[in-house]
Amino acid sequence: MKQSLVLILLTLAACSKTPEAPKLAAAPVGPPPPFLLYQTRTEAPSGDRLTAGRNGAALFSNNCGYCHLVGGMGTNLLTKQRLAAGQPPETALLVNRTDLTPDYVKSVVRMGKGAMPHQTKVDVTDAELDSIAAYLGKAKK
Amino acid sequence: VKLTLPPRLSPAQFGTAVKAFEGVVGKDWVMAADADRDAYADIYAPGSEMEWPASAAVAPASAEEVQAIVRLANEHKTPLWPISRGKNLGYGANAPRMPGSIVLDLGRMNKIIEVDPVLGYCVIEPGVGFFDLYEHIQREKLPLWMSVPGNAWGSVLGNALDHGIGYTPYGLHARNICGMEVVLPDGDLLRTNMGAMKGNKAAHVFPFSFGPSWDQMFTQSNMGIVTKAGLWMQPAPASVLGLSLDIPKEEDIGWVIDTLAPLKISGLIDQSIFVPSWLGKMVLKGQRRDFYDKPGAIPEARVQELLKEHKLGYWHVVVRLYGEESVNKAKAEIVKKAFAKHINTPMAEEWWRTGDPIIAVDPTMGAPSAVALQMGDWVGGRGAHMGFSPVVPATSAHVLDQLRRSRKIIADHDVDFYASFTIGGRFANNINMLMYDRDNAEQTATMRKLFDALVRDAAVNGYGEYRTHIGWMDQVASTFDFNDHAMRRLNEKVKDALDPNGILAPGKQGVWPAAYREQADKGQRT
Repeated sequence: MKQSLVLILLTLAACSKTPEAPKLAAAPVGPPPPFLLYQTRTEAPSGDRLTAGRNGAALFSNNCGYCHLVGGMGTNLLTKQRLAAGQPPETALLVNRTDLTPDYVKSVVRMGKGAMPHQTKVDVTDAELDSIAAYLGKAKK
Repeated sequence: VKLTLPPRLSPAQFGTAVKAFEGVVGKDWVMAADADRDAYADIYAPGSEMEWPASAAVAPASAEEVQAIVRLANEHKTPLWPISRGKNLGYGANAPRMPGSIVLDLGRMNKIIEVDPVLGYCVIEPGVGFFDLYEHIQREKLPLWMSVPGNAWGSVLGNALDHGIGYTPYGLHARNICGMEVVLPDGDLLRTNMGAMKGNKAAHVFPFSFGPSWDQMFTQSNMGIVTKAGLWMQPAPASVLGLSLDIPKEEDIGWVIDTLAPLKISGLIDQSIFVPSWLGKMVLKGQRRDFYDKPGAIPEARVQELLKEHKLGYWHVVVRLYGEESVNKAKAEIVKKAFAKHINTPMAEEWWRTGDPIIAVDPTMGAPSAVALQMGDWVGGRGAHMGFSPVVPATSAHVLDQLRRSRKIIADHDVDFYASFTIGGRFANNINMLMYDRDNAEQTATMRKLFDALVRDAAVNGYGEYRTHIGWMDQVASTFDFNDHAMRRLNEKVKDALDPNGILAPGKQGVWPAAYREQADKGQRT
């Protein structure tokens, strides 16, 4: 346990240098790091779920954070995919991607992709998805 | 997904019903477009998701709205399929058993109503996910632990109601339920246990009613819609001691069960003990093709090589002891001694103490994670899984008997073998994960044949499943055949009395109301 905790602390220390862009431990190709700490999601922002303009970052964390924070299932699978595509591992975190468009984000959320199930409007409303897509879709159109 | 109407309903009648539902929840929370039907299709369907299509979904925000919808469903004869959060992956997810059913999505009902840190229980609505409750407890710094399933993306109540299992001392999730609020199929509202008394203060602490106790009647059930329930929780332990050991050979599972089960039954070990086979570790290390790149099951010789290469045992045991350090130490000596009779390798010790960080992906530590779903990636493509899950008495004779038979059938179908046994008391849940690429027609066809064969074989030998995918509910229900299916006859007598229009989850767990009985799998009803 002690050894693995040291690893985690090192990982966290590495992350804390660049708080605006979370980084994954620069893991070699292969399995994800064996131990990761629980990543707490941001609370859902207040307000009517059907109203536009709520905080996209908070909505992303709350709705997508089950799988897309550090150590999440989606991040782990994307790490393998990004490395295979010759991309740096930190791009497995969706918040670090600069090549996503809002429309692409919406399509993947609604239609699913690979292991990712399609999300219902109860999971994420259209208004929430607009905010999330605007937040993640840094490539714009 | 194209529109499949509920049986005997005209497009006009369906349209009228949808309008009526909109009157209750608002236009935005009735979802009846093709894209919505896609979203309520079984993401892991072994074959076409068109086998179990929803016609629409409606999402209420309160028990009152559930009541109103249920009354309208009776009026318009529209069958409803309630889901909590719809993440029952491998068992049908959010898709209905009967084609054309309207999914009643309770995901918006996600209030954490009460958490009592002294008596150790919470009262929650069905839309509350494991992550929601866990994070609430962390934020409030409450001294309580959760028991989480392998895939903790879903609903706390939904999982408990479907007899889900976890790996802590509170691992039998349906057992933790205490005091429910239920909307009955006619729209009436009921509270069970002491809660049947208005204002009763002991509704979520005493496990019985005055008179018959109905709580379990509403689990794996289509007799009512649970709109909130109490759930007992584990007081946060001062320490946790993990004792882990790789078990080298497949047949060793016999002595492992005979060693662990008596300790569990006596109460010395209080967790539900998870014993997975080697593939449980491998699925997280990469894809199948990284280790064996041919179709068909990985041959035994290659399995043995992989175990050596990755320093794995055939099985992996982690016993966790929860509580005061001195007590855990004393218990550990007894556990270690019991194992030392069979194996020279000592058990590795791993302590966790209050204040230590919690590892994200370890369900025995009560933190929710969806990482177990990564196994879907093992086969590649749109990877999916189904679980074949018979219950066996927790002795070597039964465990080895079931293991050998299911192992042979799985090998005969040329499929990888990934089994686990979770000792929950006098029994073990034997979960066999069957992984397939949904877009590989041959693979899904094999899975279906394999699943049929496994269910049949287990039943012939005296074992039944504790839970199953919607597509096999009739088949598994029909294996419970004592006295000409007396249990099915009782279930359906009660169902017809409570739900004369048959609007609530027709076919759930093979229980069909008279109104839709013709929709049952006829082959299972002769």
